[in-house]
Amino acid sequence: MQDFPPEVPAYPTSSASAEASGSRGRDRSFPDTRSPARFLVWLLGRQRDVLLAVFATGILVFLPGALGPYLVGRAVDEGIIAGSMSGLLTWSLILLGVIALGAGVGVAMHTFAVRGWLLALYQTTKLVTRKSTQMGHVLSQRLPTGEVLSVASGDSNKYGALSETVGRAASAFFAFGVVVALVLHTSVPLGLLTLVAAPVLVFVATPLLRPLQRRQAVERSRTSDLTSLATDIVAGLRILRGIGGERTFGRNYAAQSQRVRQAGVAAGIWQGAVDATGVLVSGLFLVLLTWLGARQVVAGELSIGQLISFFGFATFMVMPIYTFFELAQKWIQALVSAHKTIALLETEPPWRAPAEPRDLPRDAVIHDEASGAQIHPGELTVVVSALPDDSAALADRIGRYLPAAAGPVSTELEEDVKGRTARQTRAQRLAQRRERAEADRERATRRWGVTVGGVDLSEVPLARVRERILVSDAASMVFGGTLQRALDPHGRLSRTEAEQAMLVASAEDVFEALPGGWQGYLDERGRGLSGGQRQRLVLARALATDPEVLVLVEPTSAVDAHTEARIAERLAEHRRGRTTVVTSVSPLLTRWADRVVFLVDGQLAGSGTHEELVADNAAYQRVVVRAMDEDEEASDVQDTRDLAR
Amino acid sequence: MSKTPVTSLDELSEQLLPGSASTWQPPKHSPPVPVELRPPRHGSLRQRLRAWRSRHLLREERARAEYHRSRNPERGLPVSAGRAAWEFVQRLIGRRRPLVAGVLVLHALAAIAGLVVPRVLGHLVDVASVTGTLVTTLNTLALTVAGVVLLQTLLTFAARCSAAVFGQDLLAEAREYVVHTVLGLPLSTVESASTGDLVTRVTRDVSAMSDSVRWALPQAVIAAVTTVLTVAAMVLNSPLLAAPLLLSVPALAFAVSRYLRRAPAGYITEGATYSAINTTLTETVEGARTVEALGLQERRIAAGDDDVAVSAQAERYTMSIRNLLFSVIDFAYNSPLVTTLLLGGVGYANGWASLGQITTAALYIQAVVEPLDRLIYSLDELQVGAASTTRLLGIAAVPPDRQAGPDRPAGVHLQGSDLRFAYRTGHDVLHGVHVDLRPGERLAVVGPSGSGKSTLGRLLAGIHGPRTGSVTVGEVELTALPLEVLRTEVALVTQEHHVFVGSVRDNIVLAREDSPDEVVVEALRAVGAWAWVKELPDGLDTLVGSGKLALTPGQAQQVALARLIVADPHTLVLDEATSLIDPRTARTLESSMAQLLAGRAVVAIAHRLHTAHDADRIAVVIDGRIAELGSHEELIDADGEYAALWRAWTS
Repeated sequence: MQDFPPEVPAYPTSSASAEASGSRGRDRSFPDTRSPARFLVWLLGRQRDVLLAVFATGILVFLPGALGPYLVGRAVDEGIIAGSMSGLLTWSLILLGVIALGAGVGVAMHTFAVRGWLLALYQTTKLVTRKSTQMGHVLSQRLPTGEVLSVASGDSNKYGALSETVGRAASAFFAFGVVVALVLHTSVPLGLLTLVAAPVLVFVATPLLRPLQRRQAVERSRTSDLTSLATDIVAGLRILRGIGGERTFGRNYAAQSQRVRQAGVAAGIWQGAVDATGVLVSGLFLVLLTWLGARQVVAGELSIGQLISFFGFATFMVMPIYTFFELAQKWIQALVSAHKTIALLETEPPWRAPAEPRDLPRDAVIHDEASGAQIHPGELTVVVSALPDDSAALADRIGRYLPAAAGPVSTELEEDVKGRTARQTRAQRLAQRRERAEADRERATRRWGVTVGGVDLSEVPLARVRERILVSDAASMVFGGTLQRALDPHGRLSRTEAEQAMLVASAEDVFEALPGGWQGYLDERGRGLSGGQRQRLVLARALATDPEVLVLVEPTSAVDAHTEARIAERLAEHRRGRTTVVTSVSPLLTRWADRVVFLVDGQLAGSGTHEELVADNAAYQRVVVRAMDEDEEASDVQDTRDLAR
Repeated sequence: MSKTPVTSLDELSEQLLPGSASTWQPPKHSPPVPVELRPPRHGSLRQRLRAWRSRHLLREERARAEYHRSRNPERGLPVSAGRAAWEFVQRLIGRRRPLVAGVLVLHALAAIAGLVVPRVLGHLVDVASVTGTLVTTLNTLALTVAGVVLLQTLLTFAARCSAAVFGQDLLAEAREYVVHTVLGLPLSTVESASTGDLVTRVTRDVSAMSDSVRWALPQAVIAAVTTVLTVAAMVLNSPLLAAPLLLSVPALAFAVSRYLRRAPAGYITEGATYSAINTTLTETVEGARTVEALGLQERRIAAGDDDVAVSAQAERYTMSIRNLLFSVIDFAYNSPLVTTLLLGGVGYANGWASLGQITTAALYIQAVVEPLDRLIYSLDELQVGAASTTRLLGIAAVPPDRQAGPDRPAGVHLQGSDLRFAYRTGHDVLHGVHVDLRPGERLAVVGPSGSGKSTLGRLLAGIHGPRTGSVTVGEVELTALPLEVLRTEVALVTQEHHVFVGSVRDNIVLAREDSPDEVVVEALRAVGAWAWVKELPDGLDTLVGSGKLALTPGQAQQVALARLIVADPHTLVLDEATSLIDPRTARTLESSMAQLLAGRAVVAIAHRLHTAHDADRIAVVIDGRIAELGSHEELIDADGEYAALWRAWTS
């Protein structure tokens, strides 16, 4: 039998995905994303052995509850009333045996139920990791990252809960059948009553559930607003404590907190109504059953022991009924989650392996057709543009990264969107997502427009492009862990190479800031480092990777002039003879360039050394060398740098 | 500047990266969990059991270690002692005595009503077992029970409502208190601590506390009341038949207390492993592009799988302690039924117990299971909630960093002398710096990263007190001023221009919260923002910030500047304040910035040399000392560090 954590295969890598996607529908190790229900069935099907085990053990666990009342009844009739000690002992011992069996198997059932829950949970989490790494930079253009993460942190638990409930409900259903058989065997009318009462008990509370859920939704949405307010206060705490405003925002928080309280009380009152209805209905059922039973006792059709059994049955019956109810709820919740999950899991990378793959020529000129810019092999090229976005776009083209055409399409619906509107909105969003995916696929498969020695990038397998051309973008992530791992994630470097990279990037202070040197621990996303430190660490990592073509986007935007000057000098030296592209407008960098490529409105507007351009190109001069006659703050404001986030 | 040959980098490395050689390790993959935690594949049942036990003990040790770490964080904000949570709750409850009494009484009444039903049913059995009973008697009894059920329904409803009112009220006060303490954190703590820990506390811990207060606290109360009353009702029904249940109490108490002693560490560890999963996954998802660029796909998958493997071990531990609990309580709940039956048989034969009493006792035994179960789980949940609450109360435990004195500044002269400061004891980042800021002067501070220039800025803005020396304004120590006064003297302007969720007015009046609208409008005019603010649907009352109306980066920057105009300090410390400005909006902001700076003394900590160029004086900070000080021309003439840099910039 499977055990957690589950083994989950990785999705095929991007360039191979085109061939694999066709067979994916048949390969059961990948999720079925044709519909939410199919996805859930696939997920439960993956662990059917565990579900069967929960069911089998559950039967024994529910036995004391289902069979117990019957045994008690027999003990009363044949032992106590009959005055037979042996009868009493016999039935009591059977009862004790059933109880002991239930308690013993209970441990096994719980173990299997946890196993099912965690298999579903971890499976989902692992699928999200695998899908994210497969999609790469395209992921954030399809779905908001928050929603991708919520599949792993929120939805996965819903699937766990569903798995646990399915197994339990199956055994509860069996126990229900046992009780019905026992009751029908004892008395047909009472048996029928028990049979009919079960669904009635479930459905009588449903009218109250709708208003309850509405109010719970209001409470949830207000609570989430309240949490946002608190996060907002923390995010701006430096300002609040530095400049002031504690009273205003404390008051705003308190006001929202009171709105949450009101919503919470309203939901609590409806919850009370639901609970009370439960008490009323199951209580009346018990009364009805006993009343009818007692009349049969008086009429001599039923023994006292059998009447006592009925009390027990009536109490026990509530359990399976609630379990069915729970199952329905969990299924619906899981379906809602599955909508979001399949929106993620059905996305496929837009890339297709080239029909006749070619290799990237070495030491060849890189030509970008969109801007007209040329990058010469073995040179340090600095790309200068008044708008940083234009330089970044050029860097993305060289690295074959798809431009983000529009923001991602959310799968989450507003709280008040229900029923048909919800379905329509979902369908619209789905169509929108598919449209975007189609557009991406089209862009990714046609001619790319950047050639290396005459070979268009689309003719080269993507993995090969990534291997040879590294674009270190402004939003590069620093991964938490040891410093050594952050600098050398593949474990390929020698110590000297690592030291060199740190020194070229002037990142000594990062090394010093961490107790423990290379084994010092970076917090997640490099939190705890300053923006400048993070930026230099990213630079060091890119340098250490030592790719054939290195493209650095604004590598020193958050670094002070002193350090920038040092980095520029060392970078030029370190990458001598290797193709390097840097986007920046700092004269401290451009003066080290073998060639500066100057862009205006994304088009090549000049090319040459820094000195040549300063001499001949007035527009270049305006961008790179500040007009120093303006007053300090004005020129400061003019600074066109974009800090790396 | 001359080109440095690469070979010198090698020589530099041991000097610049001290400890590099000793800490570099050949890459190795260590398994995410110790091999001892993997179950053996072979062996007899006994060996396997023994192996399971040693795994269980190892997991317990890991859980305790993790729990200990979470209680005594190395970095970040403190955590209060466990007792503090209960004292806090007691204080909150103490303020709501009548409501608490009401909740308890209603629940007790509902429970009692529920307990009457089995009694009447037992009576019904007695009546039915007597031959010749009239059907009308049965009807009357059944109607009585129906009446009691109705009463129980109403009482349950009232009790649940009162619990909702009480729980929500308590919770609202608790969370408002927490945010209040966050808003009172010392300035130096806020500036130096990373916000991650605080964000976790105001989100996850507040939510754990909420679950605990809203669900577990009422459940624990209801379940405890019901359990005690049920046992009491059993004794009232027949002390003899109640005996088996009472006898199983010690076994129950042993198993439950054993479980409760271990559960918090187990669940807190489990929670920590899920945070770790989330953290890694967040990096993978948000850094998807970096993963792709560097070809880290397999490593990120492995990192995620390692987190899951660690989490699975934490889950196994809690599963085992639950299993150990269940194996005892399942039996302890149900076995009294057998003993009661046997005793009942003997009692009935000897006339000590009637059939009705036996019936009632059996029903009570069944009825007591559910509240007992709930009691155990809610106690569990309460402990987890209490752990979160102690983290929340820890925020209030940060000691204040300053004591406001009675003196108020005479004049606007800002002076720092003999300034030393250390973030870590023994590691001074400033070594006896003197700064004398002439009123109205512009002083630019330049220097390499890590030289201490930002620290100097913080000292001059009164964020931190210096280790030695003093920073005074008008002869009064900055850190001896109340914050409200300090803010109107000196302000630190950083790269952050956070727009708060709230009205435009809320976002501007920060420093002087009682400012009338005219002042707000005036400030907005000064920064050139009034034109767009007045076009907003609700003017100054328009809600802005995350999730509301989004401002453009330029507008956000204007709002940030308007705040400072309202604060009206005579001295501004700009820490790279303008390097984040969007180039597309730069033009419109030039005059806004000029408006703000007019007539104020300015200390500008600059990354960019052109900022320094036009300052009255430039201070070059290197290794925690002011290496050069003077006007641009003077420093160029001196031909030192600054001059070299300037040549590089302009050549």
